[in-house]
Amino acid sequence: MSATLTIARRELSSYFRLPVGWFTIALFLFLCGCVFGLVVLAPGRVASLRAFFGGAGWILLPVVPAISMRLFSEEMRSGTIEPLITSPAREFSIVLGKFFGAGAMLALMLLPTLLYAGVLARVSARPPEAGQLIAGYLSLLLPGIFYLSIGTLCSALTNNQTLAFLATLFVLLALMLASALAPAIAPAFLQPALAWISFDSRIQDFAKGIIDLRHVVFFLAASVLPILLAGTALRARRLG
Amino acid sequence: MLDVRDIHKWYGPFHAVRGVSFAARRGEVVGLLGPNGAGKTTSIRMITGVFPPSRGSITIDGLSIQTDPEASRRRIGYLPESAPLYPEMSVTGYLSYRARLFGVPAADRPGAIERALSLTSLEEVRRKRISALSKGFRQRVGLAAAALHRPGLLVLDEPANGLDPTQIRQMRETIRSLANDSCVLLSSHILSEVELTCDRVIVIAAGRVLADGTPAELRERHAPESAIQIEVAESEATAATIAVRSAPGVAGVESGKSENGWRLLRARLRTTKEASVPEQLAAVARSLHDIGVVPRMLAPDAPGLERVFHSLLESPGAIDTERAA
Repeated sequence: MSATLTIARRELSSYFRLPVGWFTIALFLFLCGCVFGLVVLAPGRVASLRAFFGGAGWILLPVVPAISMRLFSEEMRSGTIEPLITSPAREFSIVLGKFFGAGAMLALMLLPTLLYAGVLARVSARPPEAGQLIAGYLSLLLPGIFYLSIGTLCSALTNNQTLAFLATLFVLLALMLASALAPAIAPAFLQPALAWISFDSRIQDFAKGIIDLRHVVFFLAASVLPILLAGTALRARRLG
Repeated sequence: MLDVRDIHKWYGPFHAVRGVSFAARRGEVVGLLGPNGAGKTTSIRMITGVFPPSRGSITIDGLSIQTDPEASRRRIGYLPESAPLYPEMSVTGYLSYRARLFGVPAADRPGAIERALSLTSLEEVRRKRISALSKGFRQRVGLAAAALHRPGLLVLDEPANGLDPTQIRQMRETIRSLANDSCVLLSSHILSEVELTCDRVIVIAAGRVLADGTPAELRERHAPESAIQIEVAESEATAATIAVRSAPGVAGVESGKSENGWRLLRARLRTTKEASVPEQLAAVARSLHDIGVVPRMLAPDAPGLERVFHSLLESPGAIDTERAA
């Protein structure tokens, strides 16, 4: 666990030492600010951040791959993977450390958007409800963690950051598309199964302010498989 | 300390390492010497646990790198070729990270970092970003990180690569001082460097160990021919050549460069158990004295590791056709 935390700490701090980390945060906040200013702060509307959470969810699609793309790709390109895998840390400790570091970066990136809730509470007659706010942030954080797990896997498979970014984005878009189109094109007997694995409907529930523990478990459990596969990819690399 | 037994590595059909075996103990600096593609880096990567050998075993203090990887890796400090580092980190930040990764207890960490900084003379750049450091300093940061947790085995892959002569000398001194606590295994293709730094040399070519011994042993075994350098007046060069050639134990005389009226001659000796180089030196001196020639210089010309290396590589079967292709 100590190696995992050490790697997570280094990973998180490296985002703030590199221009790419600041640029990603700035871009995310700028786009979120646009959504908030143009859609949420419109006069005469109900004080709700629902539109913001919906917009920010889409913004995360390219932003999360930008966070995850360098996790392993950069280590492999620069050769720092060798001192790392010859340390006493196990493969899964390394993968978890990198994943947690990127997850902490995602959480820190979302943190400044709490300001929007404060602004909304100040300018509107009825402040937004706390439950809805928590559900809204879960609608960003939980899918974000799932996206990161896919990004971690893609990054563990190539030493090219651009390729890792594009592969993650492609997988996420493919999942989104499949999730949206499945109800229309899949046979009736598959519908219940597809509805269960669809993450779009779960995000919609959070956005409505519904905190369903099954959705929380679903996103966390769905993140486990790509992480296990990333650990296996690293182990396979070590086995030469 | 380190026991490498019959390790092999195949990359698909390519047999990169073919039964390398050797042992090394604490306090010893062992050099892995070989041409590019000899299997040095592959052997080093197997020893450090980057990947396992296809066959054979590697143990460090009796712990197998294959079956007890975490514990054995804790005993290894590794500096890969070109010292890959995180450029965005500061020198102390990086060392602190490595100390945590190797489980150096929090109370011992500041001391371990100070010791590593002092050992590698990095105190003046301790707060600098790694990206702002020169190649020589980066190499030293890599070495400090490898030695930080006081490993029993320190593995350095081409540590002098890309360094200038002053930096090479500093690196050599640092490596020698690190050998007080550890067994140092370094790979290099810089022959002079290996000769000056290592107690023992293992020559590898085509994935096989061609020779293993101290530089003196290797010279004796693989380049037994010694020579004597003689510098005489240009006007006396011909007579001196004839006289030296007739001296006992001299196999031949080569005429070397001529400078300011003086000519350098090189007498190749047939070393025998009965006649040592000093005795043959005396015999050559007597031959010159008999014809009244007084040399300006008369000195033994010991074979360097370079001659040993070439003699080994030129030996039949040293480089097989599969690799040469």
